[in-house]
Amino acid sequence: MAHKPRLSGATLRWGFFASRVLVLALICMVAAWTHYLNLKAGYNNARLVELAHGPWMRRFYEASEAFFGLLGDPLEVAQQSGGMVWSSSILGLPLTDPVAALSVASRGSMPGTQFLLGLLIPLGVALTFGRVFCAAICPASLVFYVTSRLRRLLKRWFLLPNLNPGRGLAWGVLVGGLVLANMYGHGVWTLVLPYLAMGQALFHTIVYESSVAGGVAAAALGALVFFALADLLLGDHFVCRHLCPTGRLLGSLGRRAPLGVVRDAPNCKTSCNACTEICPLAADPKQDDLLDCSSCGECLSVCPTSCLSMGRKTA
Amino acid sequence: MLKRRSFLKSFLAGVAIPMIIPVVARFLPPALKRRLLRPPGALRGQAFLDKCTGCAQCASVCPNQCITMTGLESGLEALAMPVITPRWRACTLCMACTQICPTGALEPLEANLAGMQKVKMGIATVSTGICYSFNGRTCGTCYHACPLPGKAMRLGLLETPIVDPDQCVGCGLCEQACIHMPHAIRIVPVEELG
Repeated sequence: MAHKPRLSGATLRWGFFASRVLVLALICMVAAWTHYLNLKAGYNNARLVELAHGPWMRRFYEASEAFFGLLGDPLEVAQQSGGMVWSSSILGLPLTDPVAALSVASRGSMPGTQFLLGLLIPLGVALTFGRVFCAAICPASLVFYVTSRLRRLLKRWFLLPNLNPGRGLAWGVLVGGLVLANMYGHGVWTLVLPYLAMGQALFHTIVYESSVAGGVAAAALGALVFFALADLLLGDHFVCRHLCPTGRLLGSLGRRAPLGVVRDAPNCKTSCNACTEICPLAADPKQDDLLDCSSCGECLSVCPTSCLSMGRKTA
Repeated sequence: MLKRRSFLKSFLAGVAIPMIIPVVARFLPPALKRRLLRPPGALRGQAFLDKCTGCAQCASVCPNQCITMTGLESGLEALAMPVITPRWRACTLCMACTQICPTGALEPLEANLAGMQKVKMGIATVSTGICYSFNGRTCGTCYHACPLPGKAMRLGLLETPIVDPDQCVGCGLCEQACIHMPHAIRIVPVEELG
């Protein structure tokens, strides 16, 4: 059956790229809006904002005021959003990282209702689409985009290892992180989860003068440097494939996801292995092993016979 | 069998990787002993640390930007935990943070007198040795900053501040307002009071 794929690989890749940029922008905006809140509570007047902080701040103030004003009282609306990918509220809609919920539960504490409700969307998405978080949302993927390009460059001159420690490693990191969260506090996840480190680094750099609370941003940046080095030196996409506990968890949750990459086996060429070679998350579309598939669309765009498409998985 | 063993091996290696964090933290300069004043409505002691995930939603909605998160300089235990430094910026008791906190580490409170009186972040203590009013120079700045004047703080002769430890909520506005350097009135967080 030679049907045209409804979603081409390029569409997926660019769509997901745009969505990741949007998430990054949203984290920056949530952080920047604390300044808006501060101006709103302090001055409540565009002219005064300009006098005290200059014309650019006035523009930012007025734009935020107009934006929140669309949805109601600007101050109230602005105070309904906050946080980062780890745990956030977007206009009152709660979103919770499953790892955060695990971490709170592991300390023998019952997470609040708001926190548990926030699990619905992330778990629902993981169960339906698999690990799509990694392709569509993860704010740290920008770092790994850069490191994977750099690694490709370095490989021209150096012999770099490409370790494959297996799936146990990320499960181990998850358990190790839970142990640390019990020994110290949930804050240690800042140093364990790449996307949280990225969120904290951005948020704290934008909100505070470094002298006051640069600490979290500095620690998070340190963690990001560690992740970048691991990615660069240990293996292709090493952090996403083998270290990130959230990726591991979402991948396993999405094991039976009904939607994803479908292979049209009769059209598939036996000698070709392009899809499996390009997969950033070490899934194997060729063997229909899609445990870690994030639906990023890389394989769709390299398949010479276009036998891969997005759709309902049959098996 | 072989597969299971290699899984177990990499699993154990995975458990070991995050343990780098406390080891590296050892090499950092020793943590500053700081009095950590939590946002209003915070649970006490271990219960707070059990619930707070450091998601910074409280810091995002604070219109006073007074909630900051502690970094490694306060120790690994306090990483990314919300803290208020009243001398820098005190809490205005608007309660926005308590209403957004998703985990219940901050108990939701209303932004009115009843809500304010439920807060117990700490207790203001006056250093009578350096306070201007206690040394014959009428000041009273702290009293005028207090959000519960006449309740949490009364004025004595020559505007000497007299704190009622039962009614003081520990917002820190007095500490922020104090014109003496170093500040003659400071908040002792409830955690330190035992």
